Parts: sequence; structure tokens; C-alpha cells
Amino acid sequence: MVSDRRRDFKLDLWGIVLLVPLLISPFVTKDVLISSLTYQISIGVAATMGIYVMLRMGLLSFSVPSFMTIGGYAAAISATAGWTDIFFLTAISFVAPALVAAPLGAIVLRLKGIYFIFITFIFNEILQILLFETPDLTGGANGIPGVPPATLFGHELAAQPQLVAVTAALAIVAALITFVVTHRFRAEFTSIEENETLAESLGVALWKYRTIGFIASAGVSGLAGFALVNMLSTAHPSLFASWSVNSYIAYAFVGGRGTLLGVAVGSALLIAVTNYFSAFANLSAGLFGVLLIVVMMLAPSGIVGSFVKLADYIRSRSVTRSAPSIKEKQNEFG
Amino acid sequence: MNSVDRAGPASAKNASGDALRVDGIAKRFGGLRVFDPISFELAEDEILGVIGPNGAGKTTLINVMCGMIEPSAGRVHLGQRNITGLPFHSVSQLGVVRSFQQTNTFSKVSVEENLFRAKRFCSKRSGPDLGLDDLLHDFELAGHLDEPSDKLPYGLQKMLGLIMVLATRPRFILMDEPAAGLERRERIRVDRFIEHARKVLRCGILIVEHDMDLVKRLCPTIVVLESGRLLAKGPPAEVLARPDVINAYLGDSAD
Amino acid sequence: METIVSTGVIGISIGAQYALISIGFTLIFGIMGVVNFAHGAFYIIGGYFAYTLTSLLGAPFIFAVVLATFLTALVGYFVEIIVVEKYVSDHMATMLLTLGVYQIMVTGATLAYGAEPVDFRFPISGALRWHGYFVPYSTLVVLVVCAVAIVSIYYLVFMTRYGIALRAMADDGAVARAQGIPAARMFPMAFAIATGLAGLTGAIVTPILVLEPQGGEAILGKAFIVVILGGLGSVTGATASAFIVGLIEAYSSVYLGGSKGALALFVLVVLILLVRPQGLIGSSARKA
Repeated sequence: MVSDRRRDFKLDLWGIVLLVPLLISPFVTKDVLISSLTYQISIGVAATMGIYVMLRMGLLSFSVPSFMTIGGYAAAISATAGWTDIFFLTAISFVAPALVAAPLGAIVLRLKGIYFIFITFIFNEILQILLFETPDLTGGANGIPGVPPATLFGHELAAQPQLVAVTAALAIVAALITFVVTHRFRAEFTSIEENETLAESLGVALWKYRTIGFIASAGVSGLAGFALVNMLSTAHPSLFASWSVNSYIAYAFVGGRGTLLGVAVGSALLIAVTNYFSAFANLSAGLFGVLLIVVMMLAPSGIVGSFVKLADYIRSRSVTRSAPSIKEKQNEFG
Repeated sequence: MNSVDRAGPASAKNASGDALRVDGIAKRFGGLRVFDPISFELAEDEILGVIGPNGAGKTTLINVMCGMIEPSAGRVHLGQRNITGLPFHSVSQLGVVRSFQQTNTFSKVSVEENLFRAKRFCSKRSGPDLGLDDLLHDFELAGHLDEPSDKLPYGLQKMLGLIMVLATRPRFILMDEPAAGLERRERIRVDRFIEHARKVLRCGILIVEHDMDLVKRLCPTIVVLESGRLLAKGPPAEVLARPDVINAYLGDSAD
Repeated sequence: METIVSTGVIGISIGAQYALISIGFTLIFGIMGVVNFAHGAFYIIGGYFAYTLTSLLGAPFIFAVVLATFLTALVGYFVEIIVVEKYVSDHMATMLLTLGVYQIMVTGATLAYGAEPVDFRFPISGALRWHGYFVPYSTLVVLVVCAVAIVSIYYLVFMTRYGIALRAMADDGAVARAQGIPAARMFPMAFAIATGLAGLTGAIVTPILVLEPQGGEAILGKAFIVVILGGLGSVTGATASAFIVGLIEAYSSVYLGGSKGALALFVLVVLILLVRPQGLIGSSARKA
């Protein structure tokens, strides 16, 4: 999919618009399946935003579960200690991972892309170990059960529809933050992805923008972690296992890695599919594997990207057919 | 039209007085010595040509001057400021910008997007209009603004690269074989570009080149790099007549 | 004193395992520019092949290990031809493709053998005890087997024509092709060898530790640490840092206890990267 900033802007907006039904659905239906799908998709979207931000720079970040862990546990510890205001929890679940991302990024983002990927991969293993080794803070292997729900102006948002709505709201906040960051720095991010040397020769400080992206990725992943903890009222190491990142990567690539719309579509579609085939839940990893391979080999732009390509192709065919070519005009006038 | 006359006195400095100076810079890669200590200076509004047989270290020289690699010895100064060892992007932000020998654009996006980015990335300096539209028109790029840059013919991609450099408002342009790959009739565009750049920004220009006609046309002063040494410096007519310079080129086709 | 030596032997044994795995991983990257995220899966299917051959078909252990190695290499060969071949040198694409392969293989193993660990035992039990020194026999066997494998690989890579051709490909693919080296025929073989090594390690180590579908995850992380320290693409770097990592792991698990060893290792890696971004042994600077 050729990058086109005006078209991508519109597609990104559509991606955010598509998330609004998630916020509305808990108030119009009590259906258990829809409720479950809504919160699963919300969490998936928020986490995949973390992947998406780094992909805009051509980097694959395996750090999303790590920052979900930090954000989720920060929220759980705060809520358990009595600070349940939803704005506070949102802020801390964003800021805590961002604060970790800054120094980590300073070290790791100077390395070649591939070492960055390796380190982010290992980082999650380390965090899991840290969780187990610090039971006083994190509850160790038991995690933190019974996390109080968030409160809005003093009212506990404890009812099921409210919990789901909070999750959806967090997804939308994550999407909006991603939108702002990726558009404010769109030229820099895509230049870094496409041609680092040229970008540098024109004055782009690679390291600065990579860090901005990394911090944003960490923050929105933290929001996803908070969403998960709030929904389940528990913080537990198993929620943030390393392999969960494979799902988010699948959502991003199958949906289309070039736009927020792709993230929304990929998450919604794949989560719906796994739920539909819930009897084969343990096969979902294999299914995602197959999809990932199929997409990479046959449709690298993902679903949304392929549609865009198709639309471009159709448009260019109709233009060449309706407008006379230069040669035709020349022939007319001898 | 003798462009050499218009170049002005070789060491003139304008109001800001800053020159780009290399001071005893040398470069080795492990055991391989690329060039020995070299010193010269490029003033604003001056044009300096760098010629020499292949493998003499000319591209490495540009790489060192613009900060892509660090010299093994010596320093690079921009005016009073020591810019040796500064990261590549910082040197560009300070106004020392290079062009590339091969075409180098953001290949998958349009010409218009390429220019948009170039203007945006070095937006620290502002000033009067650069007249890029005139150049786009002269170089036959104006009709291709929406095309992806990698679909353009080679020559147009190279000229686009040069216009992007100009869009960053450089104070010094380091041109790495601007004529390489251009057809004979396209090479006059390099002249046009340099004339325009000096008119709107009074840039100092360093040209590494193999095309001797172009060098003789445009450069009032040239230096010759041979086996990593600065062999000669002076006006082209004089330097190119020297026996040691001719010897250095024997066996090397000078276009 | 005895503990130090015993732990040292165990550390060297672990190091030898990591060396086999990491050499394969770094070979594939160096020669083909492929980041094999499925490497851990080849490790466990080596184990599963050996398990099937011994426990379900009654084959002798040594025979099972050898055959498991070849079967794993065969799987690797076909994975390369079918999935990876066209994307050689494209890091991101091969990462994602091999990630997909990993998930398919692990799901396959889960379907075939269940998600729980299977009862796969090392045929020799007991340990060498002498004046306070304590080294399990299995550790010694693994050490010997891996050492032999490492030496064989070194011979292959540095002494044979095939190996020299592989290294030429790694150094400069275009030039190597221009010299007539048939890259397309060599890549599947190289991939097969590398994954075969992982399978061999899995076949002999999983009976000592555990054989389960998730067993491959930790392997990839270890490989990453080793190649970061040793410099990606360097076989000697991978070997040396594998032994260092193995020793650190052994000593810290004995003296620091628990998983603090892994923590210590990570901190060490980060510190080293701060000071020496090219890794302990690697030579190319990694400027971002």
C-alpha cells in the first residue's frame, strides 16, 4: 500500500469511528456474548495500538506485554491502595510504563532494529521473573486478586456494563493517543521506516523519534494492561504472558499494518473468529500462525491495505479507459 | 556562458563569515588507509571541485565531512564550531547537507511528498522563498508531482534528490558525483541547480566529480585526491595540466 | 570448592547446549538474513520425535536421537523451501513468517501430544560422585554429545568446501553468486542443518528437563541473549558467549538461587550493551 498522507488520515479516522460502537454496545444490550466480544476486542485493539506505533517506524516491538504488565500492575496496586479514581488510574497506567520505556529506549533504540526486537522479547521474560520475585509488591505467583473497580467522581463503576464501557473507553483513548502521535510525526516515522539514511541526511534525529514512538507504544500498552486488570478485577502474571504478543501482531498484520482501521478490523475479525470457534480455543495460536503466513505471502498489506490497493487499481483502470492517451491525441491531429 | 567567472573570489566570506574547514582529517578502516591528513577550506558562496581517480577516497571524504562516519584523526569545523563527531543528522541541521551519488529518494511516495518531507525536516531555518517551483519546472518534474518517485527516470530522480537538499536551506552542499548516471544533455541541469542554490542561499558547494567538462565549467578551484593524498589545488586549467595529476589519471577514463 | 567445580561442569554442559542452538540460529541469520523465530519449535519437535521413537516405538535411545535429528532437519528443509525461501534477507518478513511457523508447530505438538509434559526420560540416571564432587551422568553425556556436534559443525563450516561457500554467502552474497555458488540450492540445506542442531539438542536435553509444547519459548530467549553478546552472525562469537551464559546461569542458580540468575544475566547483557554495543565479541558497530 503506497503511503498517502491524506488518504491514510481518513482511514485512521474511520478506524477510530469503528471503535465507537464498542462504547455504546454495553448500554444497548445485555447479551453476554456481545459483552464478552466487546471487552475482548477493546483490550485487543488497545494492545495492538502498541504494536502499531512501532510498526510505523518499521520496528517490531515485542514489548507490548511487558508494558501491559507495568501499566496493569500499577493500576492494580493503586486501586488496591485506595486510589480508584478512573482518571488517576488511566494516567498512572500510561505514565508508569512510559517512565520505564524512556531509559530502556535510550539504551536499546540505538542498536540495530534486530537487536531492539531481541531485547524487547527478552524483557518480558525478565518482567515475569520480577513479578514472581517481588511477592510483597505484586503478589508474586498469586497476583493481586479483588482489585476494586475504577470510580468516576466517587461512583463505583462495578456493574458489568460499566466495566465493559470503561474497557471500551480505554481502547478509544489508546487509539486517539496513537492517532495524534502517528500523525504529528507521520513524516518522520515513515521516513525512518522507508529510508533511514536519507532521513538522517535531511536532519531527522532517528533516535529521538524512535524514543517518542517507544514511549507512546509503552503508554498505550499500559492502558491495555489497565483495561485487562479492570475488566477481570485481577492482576496476575499469566495475563501478560509473552506469547500473547503473537495475537496482537496477528491482528495488526492481518487487518493491515498501515492504518488504525487495519488494527480495528484485524482485532475485531480475529477475536470474533476465535470466539466463534471457541471449542478449538487451543488451536487459535495455530490458526493465527496460518493466517500470518498466508497474509505475509499473499496479501502483505493485510485486509484493509488490500482493499485500498484494489480501489486504487480500479480507479486507475477507469481513468486510462475514459481519458484519451497522449498518443491518441497525437494521432488525431496528425 | 562562463560559470567560472560568476563564482567570485575563491576565499570570499559573506556577512556571517563562516567557512567549512577540514583540518588534518584522515581516515583508516582497520589496516586500510583511505586518506592521509588533508586540509582545505570551503567558504560560503564558493565552489570547490574534488577530483581524483576511483578509490582515492572522495566519497569517504564526504562521509566524514557530513558526519556519517568519524575521522580517524583531524577535525571538521563549521566557522568557529568544531563539528567533528557530531551525529549525521545534527550536521545536516547545522546546514551542511550532502547529496548522494546513487538516486536516493523516498521511493514509494510521490514527488510532492518527498519535497514536503525535505522542507519539514530542516524547518529550523526560515527565510525567503527558495523558488523550488522554478527548478521543478526547469527539470521537468512539475508534471510528475503525484507520481511515486521510483517510477521516474533516473535523471529526474537525481534532480529531485538535489532539490530536496536545497529545500533544507543548506549553508553548504556536499555533492557526491551529481552528474553520475545523467545523460550528457541532462548534465547542464547540475549547472542550473548550482546557479540557483548560490543565488537564493549563497551556499558553499563542494563537488566530487568525474565529469571534467562540468568541473572545468563550474569550479574556479579544484583539489585532486590521489591514493588518499591531496595532490594539487588550484584553478582547473592549471591543475589539470600538471604532469603528476595527468599521471594519476593514466589508465582511468575521465569521462 | 567441589561445588564450584561441579557447578562449573554443569555450566559448561548448559553452555554446550546453548552453543548448538545459537550456532544454528546465528548461521541462518548470517547466511540468509533470516531471523528464525521458530527455532524453539525445532528444539521441541526434536524432543517429540525422540520421545515417539523411544517410548512409543521402543527404539534404542541413541538411534532415536540420531533419527530425530534427521527428521527435524527434514522438517526444517521443507519449511525453508515452502515458506522462507522467497523472503531471504527480509528480516521483518522472515520474523513474521517463522513466528507463524512456530505457532503452527507448537499447536501441532499440542494436538498430537497434549499440552502437559510427557514422560520422556533420559536412559542413564545417577551421578558421578567423588569426594564431594557431584555431576549427573546425563549432564556429562549431553556435554560430550554437544561437544562432538560443535566440533563437527566447526569442521563443516571452516574446513569443507560447502562450509566455505556458506561463509562466502554470509560475507557477500552477490559476489558469492557471481562466483557460481548456487545460493538457492544451499539455503535449504543450511536451514536444515541449523534446525537439525536445534532438534538434536532438544532430543537429548528434554528428557532431562521437560518435554512440553511451551518448552521452546525459553529457548529462543536464550538464543537471543547469546547472539547479542556474541555478535549476530558470528559462529565463534555464539560459541564463546554460549559458554559464558551457561556458566553464569549455573553459578547464579546455585549461589543466588531461583530465577535471580536470569535477572542477573539480563542486567549483565544490558550493561554490556551500554558499554560495548557490538557485544562482547562482535566487531561491527551498531549505530542506530
